Amino acid sequence: MALLSVRNLYTSFATDRGVVRAVNGVSFDLEAGEVLGLVGESGSGKSVTALSIMRLVPEPPGRVTADSIAFDGVDLLRLSEAQVREMRGARMAMIFQDPMRSLNPVLTIGRQLTEVLRRHEGLSAAAARKRSIELLEMVGIPMAERRLAAYPHQFSGGMRQRVMIAIALACNPRLLIADEATTALDVTIQAQIIDLVKRLTRERGTSVIWISHDLGVVAGLCDRVNVMYAGTVVESGPIRELFHRPSHGYTLGLMDSTPRVDEQAGHRLRPIEGLPPNLIDPIPLCPFLPRCRVSVPACRERPPERRTFSERHWASCLADLAS
Amino acid sequence: MWRYLGRRLVQVPLVLLVVSLMTFLITRATPGDPVQIMLGMNTSPDAAAAMRADFNLDKPLPEQYALWIAKVATGDLGRSIRLNDRVTSLLAERLPISLQLAAAAMLFALCVSIPLGVIAALRRNTWIDYLCTGYTVMGFAVPNFGLALILIYVFSIKLDWLPITGIGSAEAAAGGWWAYISPFIVPAIALGTLQTAILTRLLRSSMIDVLSQDYMRTARAKGLLPSTVVIVHALKNAMIPFITMAAVQFGYMIGIQVTIEYIFAVPGMGSAVLNAVVNRDFPVIQGFTLVIAAFFLFANIVADMLYALFDPRIRY
Amino acid sequence: MALAEAPSPGLKAPRAAGSLRLAARQFPRHRAALIGLIVLALICLAAALAPLISPYDPTKIQLSAKLKPPSFEHWLGTDHFGRDVLSRLMYGGRTSLSVGLLVVGFAFAFGVPLGLASGYFGGRIDNLLMRLVDAFLTFPPLLLAVALVGLLGPDIQNVMLALGLVQAPVLARMVRGSTLSVREEVYVTAARALGAGPGRIVLSHLLRNVMSPIVVQLTIVFAAAVVAEASLSFLGFGTQPPQPSWGRDMSEARRFLGDAPWMFLAPTVAIALCVLSINFMGDGLRDALDPRAWRTRRSVTVSEKP
Repeated sequence: MALLSVRNLYTSFATDRGVVRAVNGVSFDLEAGEVLGLVGESGSGKSVTALSIMRLVPEPPGRVTADSIAFDGVDLLRLSEAQVREMRGARMAMIFQDPMRSLNPVLTIGRQLTEVLRRHEGLSAAAARKRSIELLEMVGIPMAERRLAAYPHQFSGGMRQRVMIAIALACNPRLLIADEATTALDVTIQAQIIDLVKRLTRERGTSVIWISHDLGVVAGLCDRVNVMYAGTVVESGPIRELFHRPSHGYTLGLMDSTPRVDEQAGHRLRPIEGLPPNLIDPIPLCPFLPRCRVSVPACRERPPERRTFSERHWASCLADLAS
Repeated sequence: MWRYLGRRLVQVPLVLLVVSLMTFLITRATPGDPVQIMLGMNTSPDAAAAMRADFNLDKPLPEQYALWIAKVATGDLGRSIRLNDRVTSLLAERLPISLQLAAAAMLFALCVSIPLGVIAALRRNTWIDYLCTGYTVMGFAVPNFGLALILIYVFSIKLDWLPITGIGSAEAAAGGWWAYISPFIVPAIALGTLQTAILTRLLRSSMIDVLSQDYMRTARAKGLLPSTVVIVHALKNAMIPFITMAAVQFGYMIGIQVTIEYIFAVPGMGSAVLNAVVNRDFPVIQGFTLVIAAFFLFANIVADMLYALFDPRIRY
Repeated sequence: MALAEAPSPGLKAPRAAGSLRLAARQFPRHRAALIGLIVLALICLAAALAPLISPYDPTKIQLSAKLKPPSFEHWLGTDHFGRDVLSRLMYGGRTSLSVGLLVVGFAFAFGVPLGLASGYFGGRIDNLLMRLVDAFLTFPPLLLAVALVGLLGPDIQNVMLALGLVQAPVLARMVRGSTLSVREEVYVTAARALGAGPGRIVLSHLLRNVMSPIVVQLTIVFAAAVVAEASLSFLGFGTQPPQPSWGRDMSEARRFLGDAPWMFLAPTVAIALCVLSINFMGDGLRDALDPRAWRTRRSVTVSEKP
């Protein structure tokens, strides 16, 4: 059985201009120990999907519905806020994009680490402190003991993200969601953080949802990828198959706009033109149609349908990109 | 931090020097002769001249100022023309009363604004938020002496719960703790309501700002209890501007007590200045304004220090 | 979620030229501000037309009708001399509002040039002026006004002078701040490069750009002046009897607190209403003059990150 099974997730926000449908019927499974990538541009619904799973969408103005969000056999949507609170930070944890702003500026690193241990593991102050030192050492922070008394602003961006990872992994969660966890960091630091997450989660068998707009990062880390556009998953598949045979106009566009290490000289990057649709008005046809380079006449007549290429690789696209 | 404090403290005498020069010039440039007011119209010129000489009022202005400021530097604020008492001993009577009233008003402001500001921010756009907004708007609009009259009417006249006067009186001092505290309640509320409005509005908006920060989402993602999230993670941040503002407002308090002291017959700093102005009691005006200004300056320095104390990012 | 990405009208609005006209169109959409404006206009009208529309002579003593509660003849009751409270309120408003206006004028006439000079020329002039302003601001404003009026003599002109002197430094400091930030902006440099003299730069560029914070600050000055005038009169340092004045009448009402609460309630409510409507108007003006605020009011409330 999958560790996480999301069925027909819809998340919307009431705004002054109307209801914004941020996530529109997302379904996927995540196996234990699997690393799943969620890829798409800003506003595609990746982050909102993650927040919906964590039940961190503010309601109101947000509204989350789904047939089920089963985590370890329990439907998260049926749990009370108090029950979910027991799971957050303990069995499922999240790290965020901007390590500069994700740590509380007026609390020491030690306090921010120990509080999660004391809350979920019931450790004494001394035991939590000891464990915190181990955790900081684990994520590669030198002189961990002295660093406990430091404040976030005394750390570099990469160091802060290491602290965030230590906090997230403190209680050995089954699921780790990383939301653009390396986007705000230097390229070299990015690689270190990715390696760290890879090593630590593999050691513990933690399942990971890695959210990024950067296909390159996802390629190096994930087993499988969901490509999201306008609040839906438009293509899903194991990383090799997806890269080998992108089967949605948007995936193709993403690939063409991502620089690749192995590419030949002379290959030109092609940005995707245009803007994503607003998510207030309903979109009857393929949402990517106005920006698609490979659309076929059928795209203008009927909504896209799911085409399956292998056991786990599918795309919602009418164009045949195999050729 | 200590060096910054040192720098700030060094500036205090300089500002006070300018302040003292200004008060000196204002008192001397305006009409009215303290001696004549004191002695009345029909005194002998000799007596008036003797009194002028006694208070150095017969000397040229620069010399008067120099003589005064030289004494101030030694801690001597001179003698009151009217009351024939040392300004410092007058101050010793008045300052504690003003400070107590200011403290009582600030206590009231804190007790109301902290819960109100936090709850309004947490329950935005609900009836309690609107109630809070209504309260702050009224707090800004109703002048404190008008509010004082309303409070007297309701609590002292109609309900007969609380005394109107008695701050600093002999009965209050002799009559046990309730007799001492009760006369403070109505004036403190009247005086502190404007500060309550200022502080509530500030706390509400800084709390709303903090609640939208990324680290608040982190705190919730950690599965912390709501009480921890609000008190430790949000309030600790939101209190930083709040505490600073409270300190600044406390510095203001003594100077804005005049009307309240007038209504409730409080023998404080404000009414002393008021009487001194009427009687052209120059040494009292000069001495008291100097102390009030110094208090204001120190409150501002304390505010800056508190900021540094509570926000680890600030290092002077 | 990047929901606020669609361009909004506020973004396209030119900041300086024609912004007042745009603001004028924006202002009525702010409901509280509009109500404030209407209430203030009604108060002003009642005060201005007091000689024509007030039901009684505000100073006419009629001891047979003293301390009468509100009735059909005397809508807000009568005071201890049998004078009509409503009529006194209307006449008192003339004092309060004209003091407010003159203080605003005084603060503008002194504060703005001082602040502009300080901010524009910088250096020693700035230092000197701002130390002076610092010293002024160290005094509690009401106490300073009391001292000034007390020493100069309780007289309405002196009240205006004192309140103006108290408010001008506040305005000067604010104008200096805005001027400093505007001064360094590119177009000023550009104008200088094109050979415009300092006076021209100050007037044409700076003034236009610091105008909106000044206007907002002036509403605050106005409200503060109305309250301060009432406070001074209350303490006996303002208008002298039998001249009607809100603060003075409240002071007299103290003696009849239990018997005639309408006597102190009427002026209290009048002052509060006045301050309230000015504050609402100021808020509306601030939003109307600040194009960034146009956007926030009608755009999205969701604060999800991209």
